[in-house]
Amino acid sequence: MAINVLAVILFAIISQTIHHPTVQLILNILIMASLGLGLFFFFATSVGVLRFPDFFTRLHAAGKGDTLSTILILLACSLFSLKSAKTLDQTTILAAIKILLIINFIFIGSPTATHALIEAGYNSEIDPWENNATRN
Amino acid sequence: MLLGIETLLLILVLILAVVSLWIRDLMSSVVVFGAYSFLMCLIWTGMGAVDVAFTEAAVGAGVSTVFFVAVLFNTTRRIQFNPLDLSAKIFSAILCIGTGYLLMLGLSDLPSWGDPQALVNTNVSKYYIESAYKQTKVPNLVTAVLADYRAFDTMFETCVVFIAVLGIFMLLKKDGREPLKETSAKANDNLIIRVASRFMVPFIQLFGLYVVAHGHYSPGGGFQGGVILGASLILVAMAFNIEFVKQLLSIKRMLLLAVIGVIIFAGWGLVPVFLGQSFLDYSAWAALLPGTGEIMARSHSMLAVEIGVAITVMCGMYGIYMSLVSDGRFDKGL
Repeated sequence: MAINVLAVILFAIISQTIHHPTVQLILNILIMASLGLGLFFFFATSVGVLRFPDFFTRLHAAGKGDTLSTILILLACSLFSLKSAKTLDQTTILAAIKILLIINFIFIGSPTATHALIEAGYNSEIDPWENNATRN
Repeated sequence: MLLGIETLLLILVLILAVVSLWIRDLMSSVVVFGAYSFLMCLIWTGMGAVDVAFTEAAVGAGVSTVFFVAVLFNTTRRIQFNPLDLSAKIFSAILCIGTGYLLMLGLSDLPSWGDPQALVNTNVSKYYIESAYKQTKVPNLVTAVLADYRAFDTMFETCVVFIAVLGIFMLLKKDGREPLKETSAKANDNLIIRVASRFMVPFIQLFGLYVVAHGHYSPGGGFQGGVILGASLILVAMAFNIEFVKQLLSIKRMLLLAVIGVIIFAGWGLVPVFLGQSFLDYSAWAALLPGTGEIMARSHSMLAVEIGVAITVMCGMYGIYMSLVSDGRFDKGL
């Protein structure tokens, strides 16, 4: 948690002090890449939930993809709010750090929830999917 | 652009409402209903009513979904439907269509959204917007209206929460003398869930306290903060077992605290009566609180009142969950 708070402060200092166009371009690309990757993983998650054959594989897609994509999109939001601020005041940094705290929360909560669901499914003896096509 | 998003969200809300009625499996219906609440929360955020959206996210999408699941845990998740006996369905259909028709009749009398010439926006709103900050020094107008100008409404809302928990508690409570069918009060032995919730619960409670105390300056207040605090207790009850959470806050103490919350609110409003002012007129507290004028007395009184609301709502949510999930026996849970 301390690491990503430090990373955001570093990002804020870089984006506000160095006004060289190349640096700004790199920062923009960073934001866009994490946003785009987040959207891609979100799309992959929805496809996985719809297309995978049984409960366990669906939750596999939902748990991993949902966590990563949410984290990436929130990170992009936090960096963008820092980047687009005209002056770096307390409010902007606080907003960015709050978004990072949400990231930490999701990083712990979402895989735990997935684990609980999988275990509930395992305990209630749902049959896992087997690929019968290759066996025959 | 904003209107476009809102139209899309409203269409989604309508679809989800129909779907949640159409699904036979009640558990799926509950999940769809949670999504419905969350979309309503997004719509309210888009309209600028962040306090309402916050309440909807905490109560509608969060805790009430848990309540529904707790009810389904003790009942059945299938609708018992007799295709030969349609009288109940026909009766409810007539009732729904009649109510909907009457509501649609009233729709034309409502002012259009954001209309500055509407009756409600010309008299009362104008007074609040212009004088609330001057009279109470509370930047969040919603809290000022809720806890000071309209304190009567809020006090009875708190009473409604209290009566709800009392009603559910008394309806479901078993006296404990009848023998239990099975004693499956086993601890949840899942280490991952316990460690994760042990890590998350303090932060949830801290956030709840922040929402209660910071309700003057940002969206939030007693109801939202109380629901968040209650949700953290519910999380403990789910991740550990129900005996563990009963050691933290026993059922007796839960009822006592719920009463204390209402008493804080009503008592804080009653004190000005003895000082020669009217009921819930907080400015009289300036005589008792040292170093405050009439304005700051109102501001501080709002915090005290919100704390009372938060205590009642926290114990209310906790008590409703405990009653529903253990079928009034308070021995085992989800």
